Amino acid sequence: MSRKRFKGWGFPALALLLVLAACGGGGGGKESEGSPAPADGGSSGSGGASSPVELGITWWGPDERHQATLAALKIYSQQNPGVTFKPEYMAWDAFWQKLPTLAASKTVPDVLQMDAAYIQDYVSRGVMEDLSDIDLSGVVPDNILENVKIGGKLYGIPLSHNAQGVAYNKAALEAAGIPLPKQGWTWEEYFRWARDAKAKLPEDQYPIGDAANAWDWFQWYQASMGKGPIMSDGGKTFNLDHDLFVKFHEELSALRKDKVLPPPDLSLSFLENDPQADPMASGKVMTRGGTVGSVAALESLLPGKVDVVNVPNGPSGGGWAQSTIFLGVSSNSKHKEEAKKFVKWFITDPEGGKTLGLTRGIPINEAIYKELEPNLAAKDKLSKRLAEVASEKAMPFYPAGPGFTEWVDFYKTTMEAVMFGQKSIEDVRRDQQAGAGHRRQKQVNGSAG
Amino acid sequence: MTIFRSRWLPHLFLIAFSAVMVYPILWWLGASLKDVTELKLPRLWPSTPHWENYADGWRFSKDYTFGHFFANTLLMEAANVVGGVFTAAAVAFGFARLHFPLRGFWFSIMLLTLMLPGQVTIVPQYILYNRFGYVDSYVPLILPHYFGGGAFFIFLLVQFIRGLPRDLDDAAKIDGASVYGIFARIILPLIKPALVTVAIFTFIWSWDDFFAQVLYLSSVEKFTVGLALRMFIDQFEIAWGQLLAMSLLSVVPSVILFFFAQKHFVEGIATTGLKG
Amino acid sequence: MTHRTIAGSAAPPARSRFARSVRRYDWTGYVFISPWLVGFLLLTLWPIGQSFYLSFTDYSLLSQPVWSGGANYAKIFGGDPTFKKSLSVTVAFVLYSVPLKLLFSLLVAMLLNRNLRGMSFYRTAVYFPSLIGGSVAVAALWRNMFGKDGYVNHVLAWFGIEGTGWISNPDTALGTLVLLNTWQFGSTMVIFLAGLKQIPQELYESASVDGARPIRRFYHITLPMLSPVLFFNLVLGIIGSFQMFTASFVITPRGGPMQSTYVYAVFLYEKAFKHFQMGYASALAWVLLAIVAVLTALNFLGSRYWVFYESDGRGAK
Repeated sequence: MSRKRFKGWGFPALALLLVLAACGGGGGGKESEGSPAPADGGSSGSGGASSPVELGITWWGPDERHQATLAALKIYSQQNPGVTFKPEYMAWDAFWQKLPTLAASKTVPDVLQMDAAYIQDYVSRGVMEDLSDIDLSGVVPDNILENVKIGGKLYGIPLSHNAQGVAYNKAALEAAGIPLPKQGWTWEEYFRWARDAKAKLPEDQYPIGDAANAWDWFQWYQASMGKGPIMSDGGKTFNLDHDLFVKFHEELSALRKDKVLPPPDLSLSFLENDPQADPMASGKVMTRGGTVGSVAALESLLPGKVDVVNVPNGPSGGGWAQSTIFLGVSSNSKHKEEAKKFVKWFITDPEGGKTLGLTRGIPINEAIYKELEPNLAAKDKLSKRLAEVASEKAMPFYPAGPGFTEWVDFYKTTMEAVMFGQKSIEDVRRDQQAGAGHRRQKQVNGSAG
Repeated sequence: MTIFRSRWLPHLFLIAFSAVMVYPILWWLGASLKDVTELKLPRLWPSTPHWENYADGWRFSKDYTFGHFFANTLLMEAANVVGGVFTAAAVAFGFARLHFPLRGFWFSIMLLTLMLPGQVTIVPQYILYNRFGYVDSYVPLILPHYFGGGAFFIFLLVQFIRGLPRDLDDAAKIDGASVYGIFARIILPLIKPALVTVAIFTFIWSWDDFFAQVLYLSSVEKFTVGLALRMFIDQFEIAWGQLLAMSLLSVVPSVILFFFAQKHFVEGIATTGLKG
Repeated sequence: MTHRTIAGSAAPPARSRFARSVRRYDWTGYVFISPWLVGFLLLTLWPIGQSFYLSFTDYSLLSQPVWSGGANYAKIFGGDPTFKKSLSVTVAFVLYSVPLKLLFSLLVAMLLNRNLRGMSFYRTAVYFPSLIGGSVAVAALWRNMFGKDGYVNHVLAWFGIEGTGWISNPDTALGTLVLLNTWQFGSTMVIFLAGLKQIPQELYESASVDGARPIRRFYHITLPMLSPVLFFNLVLGIIGSFQMFTASFVITPRGGPMQSTYVYAVFLYEKAFKHFQMGYASALAWVLLAIVAVLTALNFLGSRYWVFYESDGRGAK
């Protein structure tokens, strides 16, 4: 049969054609100066500060943020004649779907917004420009800057305060006659509070959510007990404390067995900030973890009912507080100096700050925040309160190190097997221990490549 | 009694079946009229319908209304459908009816392109279009439809053309028709139901092709409806009412198109008449 | 007989006449396929070749690819547990969803292939779920139906059955996606419908004269005449189901409970764009291509025994 015969020939023939096309296509392409950085490479303003410059800038966010940012860009262009912008803005999902392709094709816009969860990945692959030489004294406190440095260098200008706390449904807890969570509670108090609260709740409501499959909850536990983050050194060191791991998950398993935690098929159907599926908005669970942005969204789902405390503590503290949203400069930018000047302006200029308002959270620049404080909305107040509450005992934010996103998935899947009773904690501990060596090995290989 | 059964039973059945299939529209319409606190309730219809979700969604951005995005998308779609239908038909005719060297080889290659998951060609494709200078334009979204509209449609039409008896071609050939004449005057009219299918699918699928759109269109001015809809979904906050309202509106063009296009399936094809 | 599969052999008596005209037809064929051929050489070939090359490299997407020989393939076949898991999830999905969808859409197409009053409305209504395929609202709707508190469980409760969270339970999540996929049967159905319309009515008329019963008519007329289209739907259904992405990605984010809906395409996508291992992802893609290509080739081989092409001449089976 012809198809079968051709299939045998298909691959060599294909390979040959590929070579031909690669030569032809590649040669033609290279004439166009190795693809200029931002789409408009026409005016190659190489340095000269006064010659007109168009900066590409990209960010994610809701419409409120888009409008405020566009207005701020206009102000900058007025203050700095000769600088114009080519803005690209979209929502969170689209942004992170698009950015890898832009990075791969070296077409990342000059200025880009960054998130703490991803910045290490992009820094370690050379996408972000080192901004350490921007002078931010008097604008951002030194300890905050130290916190967000990666390998001693600054790759993104922090824009706002973020923090991790626990949100609770104040109205529902009061109605059920349950004492409210106490600021500064320890892990033991947290678990005990849950047991006591469950006694006063109806069968299909739960005091706390099941955090077994969320690796960061265990990391908060481990770090608060003084054992440090799971991943450090930009992903080179992996340190999971096996005794704490077993202790934490045995506690959760006991709670799950006693129906203090929701059944696993309910737990896994939760989707935070979804009006139907959010654990708290759906009325099923009384508490959940939340960051500044997340509790603001929760406030709009449960207006006036939400309050916040910090993440349960250990001897070393609890939760984290740090800036997690940054403005950075792309390393393939042709206008790095202009871009650096702009990112500094972004958090310094009073007029710009007023225009931007709280569209990126509570501004990192204290002077600008003071200007805005009188006009905070309810959700902004809750955000601010969370930042204060969390900062009391906060530790730094420890993201998954570069190359460890797979481990995060592994953790989730394995712990879900535990939640459904298909694996024992002891099995998982053994798997983890066995896997640790391999992971480190792979990481070393990965960074060599 | 028999008359009653044969006339009404199919209708009853079809109505029940359609109702199950259409249930989502009712849910959707109801949900699009709710405010966010009511969305979590299991009821289908809100206590007070928030029609303003539609008005607010339509004008969600200061600079553009959804009318602008609909116009963008429909224009792109018109170009896609025209290109897809005609080039796919021509290519399919070539593969199905004509003999030429390496035909089997090219056909196999074409099918193989369907089997490679698109995720791994996204980046090189982007680099290619970027080199040609077509990023932030509709070219990368439209151009592929003028190159045969994709292997799916070509293969589909090949199957339809092969289902047509060859004596029609032969008869026309004896009457002195050229290959082009056979294609245009005999084959094209006969595969009309299939061409309508290609048109519908091209329309619906390129309407839905979010990934390509997000990659290749970066100025908001050029956004399609699909991209504009995603603007409602941010990391934490989702404007649910407006999102559901506008996404319901966004399927209206496809529904209208389908409604009018499907009539063409009804017209049976009288192949016999042509044999003469 | 090299090109037999595509067009079938021309009617044998005419063979010599055709042989003479073959030379004339050579270039005309290329004229007709040129849109596809040009597009392929210009836009598709290089990206495909690039992905083939990258499958032999260590490529993080953000930095330069480094040649690594067959290391990616060695890792895949050396027992990457996630590869095995996602492949078995995908195979299960294909095995259930392809036959189910084919059968269902053929039945509905035959039902809708009548001249009843209001048929336009019925067809549009039935097609509606397929229209909203990629819409963001689908995920919300599906959660609303199959969530722990969803409509399905409310209905089950009338019968005293306590339902589970259908999409959050590892035992039922994949089945729910199969159901969703079957619910969106519209495209397959429309292709069947177009195929049914192409069957010459006179065949049925003469069969009625002969007094053939409906079942017989189905087996002796409808099925053979529809077989090219059925074959198309089968081949493309398999190819498409192996690459199923949206439903899993949107409805059960992050692979679903215990990765029970972690289909191959989602695995591959996450490898490329979340874990930044484009080299490995490319290798995964080519492995999938090989699997699907073999299945498709087998399908084409088998088609000789059951697909009937009118252009090959009636009765020549």
